Amino acid sequence: MTTRQTLLLADDDPAVTDSLAPFLERAGFHVLVAIDRKNALEKAQSHKPDMIILDVLMPRLDGREVLRRLRHANLWTPTILLTQVGEAAERALALEEGADDYLNKPFDPHELLARIRAVLRRVKPGQPSLSSSWLLIADGLTLDRRARRAELNEVILDLTPKAFAVLEYLMVHPDECINRERLLEAVWGWEYPAGTRTVDTRMAELRRALNDDPEQPRFIETVPSEGYRFIAEVRSG
Amino acid sequence: MKTLRSLALILLPLLLGALSSYLAQVFWKPIPVLVFKVDAAMTIFVVGVFVTLLLAAVTVGDWRKRKETSREIDKVKKVEDESRRRFIHRLDHEIKNPLTGLQAALVNLQEAPGPEERRQAGLNAHRAVERLRRLLADLRKLSDLEERQLECLPVDIPGLLDEMVEAARSLPEHGNRQINLMVSRVPWPLPTVTGDRDLLGLAFYNLVDNALKFTSGKDTVEVRAREDGKVIIIEVADSGPGIPADESARIFEELYRGANARGVEGSGLGLALVRRIVGLHGGEIQVRSKQAGGGGTVFTVRIPMTKQ
Repeated sequence: MTTRQTLLLADDDPAVTDSLAPFLERAGFHVLVAIDRKNALEKAQSHKPDMIILDVLMPRLDGREVLRRLRHANLWTPTILLTQVGEAAERALALEEGADDYLNKPFDPHELLARIRAVLRRVKPGQPSLSSSWLLIADGLTLDRRARRAELNEVILDLTPKAFAVLEYLMVHPDECINRERLLEAVWGWEYPAGTRTVDTRMAELRRALNDDPEQPRFIETVPSEGYRFIAEVRSG
Repeated sequence: MKTLRSLALILLPLLLGALSSYLAQVFWKPIPVLVFKVDAAMTIFVVGVFVTLLLAAVTVGDWRKRKETSREIDKVKKVEDESRRRFIHRLDHEIKNPLTGLQAALVNLQEAPGPEERRQAGLNAHRAVERLRRLLADLRKLSDLEERQLECLPVDIPGLLDEMVEAARSLPEHGNRQINLMVSRVPWPLPTVTGDRDLLGLAFYNLVDNALKFTSGKDTVEVRAREDGKVIIIEVADSGPGIPADESARIFEELYRGANARGVEGSGLGLALVRRIVGLHGGEIQVRSKQAGGGGTVFTVRIPMTKQ
């Protein structure tokens, strides 16, 4: 029998925690709830949860500040940030502070569960994950996240900011099938009915730039009727 | 216009003086010479009076200008207050309905006598939540547009229109309806516009989706694109029932719902988003519609071409 994994759910709104906590418990996790910054930091350090789910915009709990302090204390607990507004700047920040994934409120609890499981599968306990790395390298492809520059075999790629962000998201979540809706939410911050086509257009642009044949992909694989998967091995540089 | 008139008024005495001086020189012969004797104290006093008059004139003008500006600000504020009040009123309405549905569904869920009733109640609750979620998503788009940095890249309009028309008509509720897409290709292919492809796509999508939503299967929907050397003109036209004349100016307002739009799915923010996006690209949008004689509506978007 495996021990239950522990989640720390930090949100100061009982409307959220009162319903989410039992849901996650039912899904087989042990759930701790923190309602303010001090509480969240303490529980993260004393209980050593397997994962933290942090709300970003809270009057008494700035999720980003909590995350910064944890990372500063060399605590690499995998973290999913919950954001209330879908501003592009905020999403970029979430990545900068080393969140492993993020989800816009409101969300379907099943979606949160899927993300939690994906992140737990991906991260190695106690180690910084790809999401906190500024430089990602995969088979001749280098992604400089701070300079927003991608190079393939030392040649700078001509990518639109959107295409770069798509590549970034895929490379931070390698070997994970990512559907179009999720890419839309993560990169565009918006969902809209024609969105899935929008994603495909950018993906075509990205593949042209990477000279990646969809039939025999080196980097990005299409998972029929599901989404996309970054298949090359990614390491931080 | 106003400044021109006041300038003329200021110059009038000078011109009159010059004219009468000229006339005097020509017709008043021999021209008499006037000799004044003034004491210095009096002269200084008169100069003082002149300066005071001058300053008074300037100050009074300034006052009046300030008063006018504040009156204008008040007017704008009033319009803004009014539109904010209207917005909140409409928002209240848009939230109230799905929330009422949700409340009822939750009661049904608790009191459901059997699994079938429970399933139905769950479904209804989901639907209400979905409506609220969509409203919120569109509100967020509107507020996001204020601060979002526009991508500024050449956008190929025909390709984008093709994509959006395909996306809209393939929605299950539109049942693959026919849409005629007409793009002028001669004498040259349509030039690009500079902007954010995704945002423009959203705008065109909303227009096409609207055209399909407010018409039935037997109506025709047409999307046309051409240029006039300065702007690209995109028209989304339908042969549907048309928009009442008194509504056509207001349909771009946030959360406005016309008489036709009651009972039609939507957040009430679609056209407001379109107008905002077109505006961000330096363009404009107009609507022409009639209800008589079979009706019909055409939305015309003009967006400046990429400068060569």
